[in-house]
Amino acid sequence: MGKLPSTLLRRPCLTGRLPTTSPGFTHTPLAPSIPSPAATSTTPLPTLRPTQVRHATFIPRHRRPYQFTQLVQLSDGSTFTVRTTSPQALYRSDKDSRNHILWNPSEASLRNVEVDEAGKLAAFRERYGTAWDLDGGAGGKAAAPAGGDKDAAAQKGDAKDAAAPAEEEQHDSLVDLISAFATVDNSVKGGISAKAQAKLDKSGKRR
Amino acid sequence: MASLRGLSRPACRLPLSQIARPAYASRPVRCASSQAAGAPVPPADLADLEQSALTTPELSPEEKKQYRPWKRAKDRKIQLPGARYQYHPPKYYRGPLHPVQSPPSSDPRARDFVPGPFNLPRLKQTYHSTIAPDLMTLTYMHVPPGTPEKEPAERLRGWDGSSPYHKNRALRGPRGGAELPLIERDIDFTNIPEIKEVTLATYQPEAQRDPDYLVVARSVLLAITGTMPELTKTKTNVVQWHVREGIKAGCKTTIRGNAAYEFLDRCIHLVWPKIKDWKGVRATTGDGSGNLSWGFEPEDMKFFPEIEFNYWLYPPHMMPGCRVFVKTSATSDRQARLLLQAFGVPFYGPIRD
Repeated sequence: MGKLPSTLLRRPCLTGRLPTTSPGFTHTPLAPSIPSPAATSTTPLPTLRPTQVRHATFIPRHRRPYQFTQLVQLSDGSTFTVRTTSPQALYRSDKDSRNHILWNPSEASLRNVEVDEAGKLAAFRERYGTAWDLDGGAGGKAAAPAGGDKDAAAQKGDAKDAAAPAEEEQHDSLVDLISAFATVDNSVKGGISAKAQAKLDKSGKRR
Repeated sequence: MASLRGLSRPACRLPLSQIARPAYASRPVRCASSQAAGAPVPPADLADLEQSALTTPELSPEEKKQYRPWKRAKDRKIQLPGARYQYHPPKYYRGPLHPVQSPPSSDPRARDFVPGPFNLPRLKQTYHSTIAPDLMTLTYMHVPPGTPEKEPAERLRGWDGSSPYHKNRALRGPRGGAELPLIERDIDFTNIPEIKEVTLATYQPEAQRDPDYLVVARSVLLAITGTMPELTKTKTNVVQWHVREGIKAGCKTTIRGNAAYEFLDRCIHLVWPKIKDWKGVRATTGDGSGNLSWGFEPEDMKFFPEIEFNYWLYPPHMMPGCRVFVKTSATSDRQARLLLQAFGVPFYGPIRD
């Protein structure tokens, strides 16, 4: 603590004398006077101030760890710097938003399209339906004998039917339109053969 | 001053400017370089550089008599600081009228000085260059001039006046609770939503059994955010969960500005893509006034680059999950979702506004 001048102007208090104790005092007074017992017997008790007084506020030093400048390289080779507590100079990422299907829904190479060359999966779905699929299955009934392409066509029809009333809805503003927009990408899951998927991609139609 | 280097030390400390000295007597000096055949003649303004300190004459006795350092020290009005004097800012702030004031926090000597910024975060740059103008233009709603202003809906309910005591009575609060929801403000050039701060919080109720859980939780949050987290205490007694009131069972920290943008950038581009089968942030998140939140499971925390670097340091069973609260300046959840979607946060599920 730096040296403070010992001659400080004091705020006058109501009783006209220095209070020996006050609730807000964090330090001993700069000029402590030891009252004699006779004086204390004659002087009235120190009155408490009506409001709390804080004479000094501690200025803390910030507690923070050392931060390094790190170069981050994404999977597509782009780099940028970040401030981080990690002492690693270069962080290479092998999986990030540049090669994830959620951020690149139109990237065909990131889709896990199930390759069904022998037609076994299609045969299974023809017999038992799509209820056994990991994502629940859209049709889901065992009594729905539909081939892969027919299933896809049916799904397309459903999507068209669902889209028609959505187009008819009058959006009062563009905000509603944007906030209501949700990318439902049905092509992420499997369910049709690779050939059908390729045909769909080529035709450029969103399902 | 270089020419004075050859002087003896007491002669150097002479107040040379105050003494009327005779001009230097140029003594013939013989130098091999200057006597060479094609030696260039120095220009006139550089002539004093050519004079060597060795050529200065001896001090005269009058000059020596004038050298009185004790006199200078006696005549000095202010006291010089000591040789090892260093300025330290005061430890306490004693009010604006105190004679000793601490320097501003931008001064490197101040106690609360934080150096930086050292880089411009990528996400912040994108926000100011692309996202903010896009949000402003895409959400523009044209109101033809002359359109009458809509009456604002009644927020606080009045009294019907059936009793004479209803006069001057304060308005009634909203139905169903004491919270008065915010009114959504339109986005315009003065009101573009932005990130205010990001709060991270962990809860480790096992800490009352083993305080090491808190140590690990604090170090994890410290590594991720770069700020020292503060401990939190439980608010209520839950007998079934063996949780007593007032025990230290978690920590939290808040980051603002560049750190908040970098944390969001790390979440969006490095952490979430590494989580298995991650669908996105639930679209129903939000508190209704533009603050969105999500969480990280304990097994997701290892994807943060700072944790990944020394993952072996953390006991695996003590690794905490954390909740992330993003406070934006948007006044409704859909505006905040627009902002975060522009940042690259994927949302899934039904939307509730």
